Amino acid sequence: MLKVLSIVAALIVWGLVSLTLPPELFPGPIETTRVLWGEIAGGRVAMDVAMTMLRVVAGLLLALIMGIPVGILMGLNRRAEGVLDVWVMVGLTVPSLCYAIVAFMWFGLNETAAIIAIAVTAAPSITINIWEGVKAIDMKLVAMARVFEATRPAIVRRVLLPQIFPYVMASARFGLGIIWKITVLVELIGRPNGVGFKLFYWYQLADMRQVLAWTLLFTIIMLIIELLILKPIERHLFAWRPQVTV
Amino acid sequence: MNPVIEVASLRKAFSGRDGASRTVLKDLDLTVGAGEFLCVLGASGCGKSTLLNVLAGLDKVYEGRVSVSGGRVGYLFQEPRLLPWLTAERNLDFALANCRVRTSRWSELKSRYLAMTGLSAYRDYYPHQISGGMAQRLALVRALCVEPGILLMDEPFSGLDEITAQRIRSDLLSIWEETRKTIVFVTHSAYEACFLADRILVMSGGAFRQEIRVPIARPRSYDDLAIFDLSRDVIRAFGDEIDREATRPVEPVSEPSLIEKLDRGAVVRMNI
Repeated sequence: MLKVLSIVAALIVWGLVSLTLPPELFPGPIETTRVLWGEIAGGRVAMDVAMTMLRVVAGLLLALIMGIPVGILMGLNRRAEGVLDVWVMVGLTVPSLCYAIVAFMWFGLNETAAIIAIAVTAAPSITINIWEGVKAIDMKLVAMARVFEATRPAIVRRVLLPQIFPYVMASARFGLGIIWKITVLVELIGRPNGVGFKLFYWYQLADMRQVLAWTLLFTIIMLIIELLILKPIERHLFAWRPQVTV
Repeated sequence: MNPVIEVASLRKAFSGRDGASRTVLKDLDLTVGAGEFLCVLGASGCGKSTLLNVLAGLDKVYEGRVSVSGGRVGYLFQEPRLLPWLTAERNLDFALANCRVRTSRWSELKSRYLAMTGLSAYRDYYPHQISGGMAQRLALVRALCVEPGILLMDEPFSGLDEITAQRIRSDLLSIWEETRKTIVFVTHSAYEACFLADRILVMSGGAFRQEIRVPIARPRSYDDLAIFDLSRDVIRAFGDEIDREATRPVEPVSEPSLIEKLDRGAVVRMNI
């Protein structure tokens, strides 16, 4: 309920502020929605959104595939931790634009390069999350499982993985937040379609109404994914966790 | 009583950070008979938890001979160590499955021990939804469910408030009297040891200092004066090596002493 109210309030503020500025500089919510609707009705949206989504999902999967094993290794092995932690920091520090440029120059202006750039950007923060998760594993529960004659595979599956899983979820969400942004940037530099490409296109034509319409579209899609997919999954998976009240 | 636990010249040393090794168990000899309730009494750091870990098979690096027979070993830790993502019942299933107890027996075993500890209504609760005392009781149920011949307990009630701890101790004794499992119970509380055990081994510096047989008849009551007297004697003899505090349940105050405690003037005024 509060969420809805805050969104309504933000729309009102947007509307009021837009009244003080010319529409070609800052169109209001109604004008923006009208432009967006025109784009959707004209069939010019589906393809770009689909391409962006594809890159986001592929990039996230690849980032998880790269980030999780490294995180686990760093959590389990002190030597690996010592060697790798500086590189994770480096990976985190390099601007995503650099990854995108390097990927396009090495692999060409293609989908593979785009997805690699996206994944490489997000992987370090996923690694950090998993690394923390592995270090936070409660070894007392492992000793308990051993007392109850649990085999090694059973300990991994029923005691270790459930402890790491919340960190995997957190890192996926966190990674997704980064990936949304980098995907748009990658599309701007090196792809002929997608939401980022469209934003850049309308920027070059200096059409503020279209820029805001595409930004709005992007935000709505993100909110839908967050509220209708991620939140319910989390609620279902972590029903066992106590609610934190301060 | 045929022995189920036999330990001969058990030595165990840890190497510290500086490379120097520290002996935590010094040539221990121990025999525990089937169905016996043994308490190992000692201050923290005396090596009693290490001994339990060796008996449980959690620690396999030691010198000497250790033989544990008489069935599966159950272990109750100081904390409940329940899996927080599983409900109470699923936590029991976890133990039953890993110990390969036949599935056909699960429901009977679970119901039996849940009923004994008063937890029947809490099967579907997650660990964070029940109190610390209930969680520890559930851990006890989990240890009993897999039908161990021997139960090892590492200060299982020291983290609980006294009233809850007392209740579970009584539960434990009645379960023990019914099932006659061999129990090795580690504690730093002389009173707890005197209340529970057939035999107490006082441990300090990695060795047993004294063996005490507890002559108090069963069933025992927690506020029995004989238990208090014995625990006081134990503390007098070994106070330097174990916890000095003799915790005793709230002393039953007789009426005459209540009146004595009142200030005389008040009594006079009340008479008027």
